[in-house]
Amino acid sequence: MYLALRDLRATKGRFVLVGVVIGLISFLATMLAGLANGLVDDGISGLRALPITHLAFAENSHASFSRSVMTEDQLEAFDVEGVDATPVGVSFVNARPAGPDASGETIDVALFGVDGNGFLAQSSEAPDGTDVAAAIEGGLVLSDELETEVDLGEEFTIVGTDTTLPVVGFTFAGTYGHVPIAFTSLDTWREVVYGDGSQGRFSAIALSTGDPAALDSAATQTGTEVFTKSEAYAGSPGFSAESGTMSLIRGFLLVISALVVGAFFTVWTIQRTRQIGLLKALGASSGYIVRDALGQLAVVLVLSVSAGAAIAAGVGSLFGDGAPFSLTLSSVVATALVLGLVGMAGSLVALRRIISVDPAISLTSGV
Amino acid sequence: MLDLHDITVTVPDGEATLSILRGADLQVGAGEVVSVSGRSGSGKSTLLAIAGLLRRPQQGTVTLQGRDANAMSERERTRARRDLIGIIYQSAELFPSLSAIQQLELVAHISGSLDAAARERAGSLLGIVGLGDRRDNLPGKLSGGERQRVGVARALMNEPSILLADEPTASLDPDRGREIMELITAEARRRNLAAVVVTHDPAHRDLFDRAYDLAAGTLSSPSTGSASGTAPGSTGA
Repeated sequence: MYLALRDLRATKGRFVLVGVVIGLISFLATMLAGLANGLVDDGISGLRALPITHLAFAENSHASFSRSVMTEDQLEAFDVEGVDATPVGVSFVNARPAGPDASGETIDVALFGVDGNGFLAQSSEAPDGTDVAAAIEGGLVLSDELETEVDLGEEFTIVGTDTTLPVVGFTFAGTYGHVPIAFTSLDTWREVVYGDGSQGRFSAIALSTGDPAALDSAATQTGTEVFTKSEAYAGSPGFSAESGTMSLIRGFLLVISALVVGAFFTVWTIQRTRQIGLLKALGASSGYIVRDALGQLAVVLVLSVSAGAAIAAGVGSLFGDGAPFSLTLSSVVATALVLGLVGMAGSLVALRRIISVDPAISLTSGV
Repeated sequence: MLDLHDITVTVPDGEATLSILRGADLQVGAGEVVSVSGRSGSGKSTLLAIAGLLRRPQQGTVTLQGRDANAMSERERTRARRDLIGIIYQSAELFPSLSAIQQLELVAHISGSLDAAARERAGSLLGIVGLGDRRDNLPGKLSGGERQRVGVARALMNEPSILLADEPTASLDPDRGREIMELITAEARRRNLAAVVVTHDPAHRDLFDRAYDLAAGTLSSPSTGSASGTAPGSTGA
């Protein structure tokens, strides 16, 4: 890269220009990655945290808890060797501080009703060691992100019902459908949703098994649809639309980035056609010239992509809890790597041009 | 050393083909410095491109140091350009971002031999062409004559056997031009190179061992009588 680095220094202006454009694209791509991760977390972190492998939903419910209603008969079918199954009820509710002198805000929660005897409650343990199964009987265990707003022992009335429940603990429950999760017992959940007429209904069956094939016959027999845990993310309200939008924007950014680099590099190559011819006349192989050019591009890409990503990560960390933004080092690095590779790919068109330059153009005239 | 025999070059010209060179012959031995003159468009640059292995003729043989250049692959021709040939261009053709000394160092870098000895050789070459104190100047900070001196030094950097110059004085005033031409011919003789200088300026004929005229696509020596002004002819398609 003898010539390339000196060209880079001598014609800083034009490289700074394209570097800023690529840096901005990198900034955008990293911000989007952070927002996409944040939105995903906001949508399904609670579901992801559950110690389950699969979920069974009623037919045609598309992994959406609110569309799915199931009965005890269907649950019994999943009583198979090697499979843990327990019913869960999920619905979105508002909880208003109870009592005449209550002043707190009404909170939105995803109310998860869990069978205290099922594997879900039995295998969970609150950080302070309290027995989750016992705690959720007649109370709410809230996602710990509500700990700053809500006091232990505070009572909440579920809006639209007569049910009033005390907050009995906090746990790392995460969120579902962009609202914090509140665990309670399945019976309490039924009371909230169906009043006295629940007839043993619930939303879905949480499953844990090392042998997914064991679920097939039960699913066929009961007419239920079994999803893996990550397939079930799609049922979270807004999840598909959000992740689809984010993927689309990121895809576009990558394409734009490839085109910007490709266009810049092509114009730059055309501008220095004579110089390339001269290098060839001096006995430089196409390989030498291509290495030179790619090295130059790599320097520009590495500097601009990493600057953009670093600024985005910095800006993102200032968001705090105000926005759903979550960025890990690995996703920053992955985004930057993909951008860099796409940029290199964009330059391939220009490389063909380098190879086809005629060394004879270095002489006065074409004739 | 350099032997061009029966060189024919044609280019398509619409429906017809235009003959640039028609059976041109040129032999230059080591230590010989010859000039090729001719009107513009007579094919002088094409002849240099053939001799410099920048272009292949449609017909005829090019022999460098006893090797048939037509039989070489493109890779071998590139390597031969790198190791055997030095070219001086009309307007020096320096790289704008490189200082005088770096123009020479680049040549060594291309052949993968940019070491302390090469740097020293570059410095001493710049001294020989009279630019010892301007080695760190970029081309933009050099006069036209100085740029051409760098061009001469660069052409000598790879210690070539064959030196080719394409109108090296065309963009200089007569005094600077004479100095450059004297420098080129003196260095070529001192290094025992086979040198071909294309020029349309008859003022320097005294500096050459032989002076050829290129007309109608063939070379002729003035001693055998020539120098007609016929333009290269066209043959039918």
